[in-house]
Amino acid sequence: MLEMEHVSKRFGATQALEDVSLALHQGEIHALLGENGAGKSTLIKIITGIEQQDSGEIRIDGEPVRVTSAQDAQRLGVAAIYQEPMIFPDLSVAENIFIGHRDRGKIVDRRRMEGEAAAALARLEVRLDVGEPARGLTLAEQQTVEIAKAISLDVRVLIMDEPTASLSAHEVRRLFRIVTTLRQQGVAILFISHRMEEVFEIADRVTILRDGRWISTTPRVDLTPATAIRGMVGRAVVELFRRQRREPGPVRLAVRDLRREGSFRDISFELHSGEVLGFAGLVGARRTDVGLALFGIAPAEGGEIELNGTPIRVTNPRQAMELGIAYSTEDRRQLGLIMPLSIAANISLPSLPRYLSPGGLVRRREERATAEAFRRRLSIRAPSVETPAASLSGGNQQKVVISKWLETKPKVLILDEPTRGIDVGAKVEVHQLIDDLAAAGMAIILISSDLPEVLAMSDRILVMREGRQMAILDHREVTQERVLSAAMGQSGDLFPEGDGTDRAAAAEAIAVIDRVVAGEALAEREWS
Amino acid sequence: MSDAILRRIRPEQFREVILLIVTIGLLAFFATQIPDYFNPRSVNRLTTGLAIPLVVAVGQVLVVLTRNIDLSVSSIVGLSAYVVGTLLTRVDAMSPLMTVVLSMLLGLALGAINGAVVAYGGVPAIITTLGTLALYRVVLVEFSGAKTVTTADLPDWLNDVPSANVLSARGYDLRLTVGVALLVVILGQLTLRYLPFGRRLYAIGSNPDAARTAGLPVKRDVFTAFAISGALSGLAGFMFLVRFGNITVTAAQGLELQVVAAVVVGGVNIFGGSGSTIGALLGVLLIETLQQSLLRWAGMSEFAKDAILGLLILVAVAADAIILGRLREMWVRVRRRDQARAQAAAAGEGVVRGA
Amino acid sequence: MARKLGRRLRSWEGLLLLVLLVVLAFNVARVPNFLTVVNQVNLFQLGIEKAIVILAMTFVIISGEIDLSVASMMGLSAAIAAALFERGIPMPVAILVALGAGVGLGLLNGYFVAVVGLSSLAVTLAGYVGFRGLARLLVEDRSVGGFPDWFTDLGQQGLIGPLTLSILIFGVLAAVATVVLHLSGLGRLTYVIGNSASVARFSGVSVARTKMTLFMMSGFVSSLAGLLIAARLGAVRASTAEGAELDIITVVLLGGVSIFGGVGSMIGVLLSTYLVLNLRNGLIIAGVTGNTQTGIIGLLLILSVLVPNLAGRGRERLRRRTDPTVRAPPTDSAVAARSPVAPG
Repeated sequence: MLEMEHVSKRFGATQALEDVSLALHQGEIHALLGENGAGKSTLIKIITGIEQQDSGEIRIDGEPVRVTSAQDAQRLGVAAIYQEPMIFPDLSVAENIFIGHRDRGKIVDRRRMEGEAAAALARLEVRLDVGEPARGLTLAEQQTVEIAKAISLDVRVLIMDEPTASLSAHEVRRLFRIVTTLRQQGVAILFISHRMEEVFEIADRVTILRDGRWISTTPRVDLTPATAIRGMVGRAVVELFRRQRREPGPVRLAVRDLRREGSFRDISFELHSGEVLGFAGLVGARRTDVGLALFGIAPAEGGEIELNGTPIRVTNPRQAMELGIAYSTEDRRQLGLIMPLSIAANISLPSLPRYLSPGGLVRRREERATAEAFRRRLSIRAPSVETPAASLSGGNQQKVVISKWLETKPKVLILDEPTRGIDVGAKVEVHQLIDDLAAAGMAIILISSDLPEVLAMSDRILVMREGRQMAILDHREVTQERVLSAAMGQSGDLFPEGDGTDRAAAAEAIAVIDRVVAGEALAEREWS
Repeated sequence: MSDAILRRIRPEQFREVILLIVTIGLLAFFATQIPDYFNPRSVNRLTTGLAIPLVVAVGQVLVVLTRNIDLSVSSIVGLSAYVVGTLLTRVDAMSPLMTVVLSMLLGLALGAINGAVVAYGGVPAIITTLGTLALYRVVLVEFSGAKTVTTADLPDWLNDVPSANVLSARGYDLRLTVGVALLVVILGQLTLRYLPFGRRLYAIGSNPDAARTAGLPVKRDVFTAFAISGALSGLAGFMFLVRFGNITVTAAQGLELQVVAAVVVGGVNIFGGSGSTIGALLGVLLIETLQQSLLRWAGMSEFAKDAILGLLILVAVAADAIILGRLREMWVRVRRRDQARAQAAAAGEGVVRGA
Repeated sequence: MARKLGRRLRSWEGLLLLVLLVVLAFNVARVPNFLTVVNQVNLFQLGIEKAIVILAMTFVIISGEIDLSVASMMGLSAAIAAALFERGIPMPVAILVALGAGVGLGLLNGYFVAVVGLSSLAVTLAGYVGFRGLARLLVEDRSVGGFPDWFTDLGQQGLIGPLTLSILIFGVLAAVATVVLHLSGLGRLTYVIGNSASVARFSGVSVARTKMTLFMMSGFVSSLAGLLIAARLGAVRASTAEGAELDIITVVLLGGVSIFGGVGSMIGVLLSTYLVLNLRNGLIIAGVTGNTQTGIIGLLLILSVLVPNLAGRGRERLRRRTDPTVRAPPTDSAVAARSPVAPG
């Protein structure tokens, strides 16, 4: 139904897309795979009218079209849903769905609009108060509103860019049901995700892009994760990282009964030097909140923290840094880096006072030297350390973020989703770095939603669920049963009445853990 | 704060109620301090003083909702007042209606220039309207040759307008100008609530990126908002001419900040996305009341009113941020709790269905 | 070498320099002894107090905020000094109190913006009205003068040769400001916070402390400027320096500082300061009145943002219509790509 032929696009010196051809059929779920920088977002921008191709043709139902604006896209029945939902917090849910509709008449009929909105949402299995401002909706609810909006506009091509990144397993299931229904109605769905399991569950066909070029389009049944990754990366399949296991050192950080109203409670653990403590859990478990509490951004309201045996209170990031606690954020774009600033300036930022002369001037030469050292150590690929952070790829940006925290010479390093959205090659490098740091005695907390990563990298795993701590498991005793019961809640009375949610979510967890836990890495089983 | 109240009233509406209470409280206070506070002449003076800032404020609300600002309004008011005034002295056959229309058209044109530069030229509103504030004033100076329009040269019907009443009861007059201003407020409110254009203004201010990707005609709507603001300033220019008669080159200078202050005090979010013309009305009312009452209050130096106004703006904005912020958090928490309960109930059925 | 020069010229500062040279050429052509020290001193005297405040405003705007209260602060500090002196307080003490008020009120602005989290547009709007109001309370509708001779001499006579105290202060502060903005930690933090206060916070930077420092600087410098005006004019009214904030903000923005924060250089601001002084002077020579000068400067301000925007877009459209494989210039216009936003 939607065809793109020989589409190319250049931005300055970068050829974002080169001679890419793609065809979407009616009623299919078409997955788009590719590393960061492969050209996926450029492709989407061209289809949705935000950018125009330099050359090549787009056809809908055989007719050539030019999509020059968002309004064009809307008229042609193209809609896109991104990782960050685009809703209007001050408008009601109903208005969010229907705003921008052209033919609704001269006067806004609130009651009719709310009725239709409620009906649309009901079809998506969601019940919301359609008259209330959209401000209070959860991320998943906002996404549903966006889908309702697309449906109300008779969408024919729906693009979903990393839609599951911030959803809980339950919400992902609901999303998949919706997507399946849309497929049955004849909508063409372009689905972009970094999560291989999802792609392999739901896609009909898979297109792989690499470095702006089309590599392949295959029916899903003819593809394996190994061949997919090989297509994305262009080199031999990389094995999942194997850590060197060592004896951990003395206790560096001890946490007892830590709690914060509305976030988490009864968190207790001991972190040893030279150990990687993984924080596992389904999304919504509030692991990031614990990290933010230890770093002083959202301090704990109760409980005790001891650093090397001394009790401490962490109330702001500056203080946390002085104590030797560092937190590498999961959102490197918005919270991790100053994009126009050079790599060197970004790395020195948290430690800036150390780089100031007595007169308050910045010691540029030392700054540069530090940055060079990190560049070598972490293999940061960039023309120079004066290059702005914005020009780096995701993986290299992540390395800069980690560098800047390493420069604070922390005693406790909290890494929050350090390999999210970065390509396979860089991922392995980061894992190697974590292993090296642990070998040198750093105490590391690794928060990750990538279950195989957590299981492969951690010495022990702290499992959280909805703000509560469920279990701390040693990597040697990780078994299917233990993780399952931890993710669901160990004792019967922790089970809210009739909570079907967790069973479904746990079923998901099993599916993945099953493959990992039999002593074998996902890599070995499937990627050989 | 009980859940029930939180569920019923939205934080923004709460804000307007508070503003009303504060105004009433202020009136009550001044009534005790100033003898014969509510006498007809004073009340009439108060309401008449409201008319011009109010009309301009309605236009400003439209612009501010989209996350922009229009600082050029005072120059538009001055310029249109002067041009129309001059025309009236030279041309005999101009009817009142034609005069008003002309004034509004001139304002519309000036506002349209603002809108074009901001929406289509991509120049931030604060820069654009700072520039046109100066530019339009220069045009006024050049056009006038520094001469003044005087009442004596104006047609009689014009000089009769200030005392024209819509209603009158026991000495309390609802003047024509005030009636027009209130009409503008009501029309503005209806536009914002019931016209798609009005709702889109909220959307644009609430999330400009989403508005663009949703295919809303953002540029066109922002342009229109500025054009309307200009037209309303033109109308206010006519009202200015009617009220003062003598127009100099410094006519209406300083009005823009008075209006922005009223809008801010009235609860319109300077970041866009929320607010109403009713709020603007309350803001103008509160500020005018304060200023006029201070003038009459024996215990207060007449020179203190600006200092107090400054304090008022600060208090209004601070209270907004703190109270509204707190209220919104509580509101969201109550909603989440309600929804969690609803979902748990629904999930009870889910056990049978899903697993 | 030539390529690098070309790139410099195409930059904003290069453009300013070009325009400045044109205006200078015009001025020199009209007035033969335009470039003599005496004449240049007179040129500067007209706007020197504003120029000093411009230095501080640059920091504030780069950090992503704005200070609308500077002119009112200038008037207030002049009024404080005058009122105190009138009541018999020795002039040096009066001066110190005025400066203290500048620091204190600047701190107040900074507190509400940085700690309470209010929009700087709104807070300094309150200051714009409130400080002027306080000035009115102090000197009412009178003109207060009668300052000691040494005070007015400092304001009007040259201190070192023909250079007055104001010019000397500006010279020193300009050098200091340039060094601090581009080479010091405070300057680095100003850019960082203007770019993303969130990242700054997550990197352990004390955003509140930095912003409060900047607003304190602005308040202090404004109060200093107000005193210098009082010395130069010899008399103070409640309306002293009224409207100056528009000029100040205009010059800073014209200097290449982005209203959104995070972008700008002191060199550019210094160039635009000198440019506007020369422009005003040239316009006076050409017989243009004060109001019209302001209008022209306002027009210049709009064009300074509008023209690059349109040029960038024109280039895009031209490229698309011709050879599709022609390299497109990197679209830089953050202003064009963004929605119209009021700062704060």
